[in-house]
Amino acid sequence: MAAPLELSCWGGGWGLPSVHSESLVVMAYAKFSGAPLKVNVIDNTWRGSRGDVPVLTSEDNIVSQPAKILNFLRKQKYNADYELSAKQGADTLAYIALLEEKLLPAMLHTFWVESDNYFSVTKPWFASRIPFPLSLILPGRMSKGALNRILLTRGEPPLYHLREVEAQIYRDAKECLNLLSNRLGTSQFFFGDTPSTLDAYVFGFLAPLYKVRFPKVQLQEHLKQLSNLCRFCDDILNSYFRLSLGAFSCVNRNQQQIAFGEVYSHDSTT
Amino acid sequence: MSLVAEAFVSQIAAAEPWPENATLYQQLKGEQILLSDNAASLAVQAFLQMCNLPVKVVCRANAEYMSPSGKVPFIHVGNQVVSELGPIVQFVKAKGHSLSDGLDEVQKAEMKAYMELVNNMLLTAELYLQWCDEATVGEITHARYGSPYPWPLNHILAYQKQWEVKRKMKAIGWGNKTLDQVLEDVDQCCQALSQRLGTQPYFFNKQPTELDALVFGHLYTILTTQLTNDELSEKVKNYSNLLAFCRRIEQHYFEDRGKGSSSIRLP
Repeated sequence: MAAPLELSCWGGGWGLPSVHSESLVVMAYAKFSGAPLKVNVIDNTWRGSRGDVPVLTSEDNIVSQPAKILNFLRKQKYNADYELSAKQGADTLAYIALLEEKLLPAMLHTFWVESDNYFSVTKPWFASRIPFPLSLILPGRMSKGALNRILLTRGEPPLYHLREVEAQIYRDAKECLNLLSNRLGTSQFFFGDTPSTLDAYVFGFLAPLYKVRFPKVQLQEHLKQLSNLCRFCDDILNSYFRLSLGAFSCVNRNQQQIAFGEVYSHDSTT
Repeated sequence: MSLVAEAFVSQIAAAEPWPENATLYQQLKGEQILLSDNAASLAVQAFLQMCNLPVKVVCRANAEYMSPSGKVPFIHVGNQVVSELGPIVQFVKAKGHSLSDGLDEVQKAEMKAYMELVNNMLLTAELYLQWCDEATVGEITHARYGSPYPWPLNHILAYQKQWEVKRKMKAIGWGNKTLDQVLEDVDQCCQALSQRLGTQPYFFNKQPTELDALVFGHLYTILTTQLTNDELSEKVKNYSNLLAFCRRIEQHYFEDRGKGSSSIRLP
């Protein structure tokens, strides 16, 4: 329990500690369960891996996907689900599956596949955090990976066409957001008054969608109409990810200002 | 389908009542059909039985190719063809029959979430077992999938399908999973379903819904299909309330109506 845990993940912007959903899920869970995490933000140097982000390193373990990282933290006795009943634990699994099947394809599309969004926001942001010449290759690869995932899980073999699938995935995502909003209702968190794994996942998926400024925003507009989900994200940001002084702007390679972000103190004492 | 096309189809669907000669198409039962397709087909049959809608099951070797979305089963009702459980549920709803009308918004959200859990974990695990586990592929899947076709078509089609499934597994992050990890995921999923079901007869107490049909389809098929080893069905057998659930639906909806959905009884 005393071994220092280091998390390496993508950095923040637009008011979020991280712009990458999976990194955000892990950071939120760590805050909820009180795990002392030292966050290493991936920046424009050659240090750190870029492949399987987020990655948790403790003294002798390297754990990579969010589900596995959360399991690892639970084994280290950082458990945010301690007070959940068996049925609530089952509900958690089911809602996470719902998020992955219905919301994730549209999110991937909004961030990585929609050309306006990708070329004006996502690609410059990621490219500015990856050293040359990887910055020319890696964002493109991530974009292809996202497109692949959408087509293989939703498209129809053997000819996969994006057009047929686009309308359906956005419709599913909007339905998923409505379902989440119905389930949350007026409570502060999904299971009572303390946040749990499900809250971490929902926050991780929704917060980037809510805050990042995109040119093509149909899903974001829909989310903004669901005020309880917006309030949920804002509450978590204000209570668990406190602002510290100072603001800086994210600058990409060509010295163009693309966003204002605030610096967060990643203090391990919540 | 685009929004306009779907609205059009719903309107046509709503106009006619359910005909007597509705048919459900699946692959050949004895020699060709695989675990995951059998599960999907049984889920749809259970759903239609629960709605009290008569349907005749027809087995064709090229069912997969006839289907509009490439997936089995599909139903042919009047002059419309609808495939997969989700669209079929909506189609049946347009005709005025629904199992989930009595649920409130939160319950509907839960039902959809659990259906996604089954699709995400159970169905993917079945696909993994059938197409990515070398032992099963060699002994069972290849032979069954290509059985209606002459050589060399049977081998080509089987390899093509295997390549497709492997690509999909890799895209969703299951490419590097070992069989043990997959079985553990199945166990987690069954545990969640068992905890949700508790001691109730159906997932939403007194009345079955499409979730019950889907879970029944998958669990019953897992329990009654012979594979190279019994590990998958053992995982399900650990949960007695799930076994009782399957038996209950089998007795109520399949035997009482005089139809045996499978010749093998539950142990």
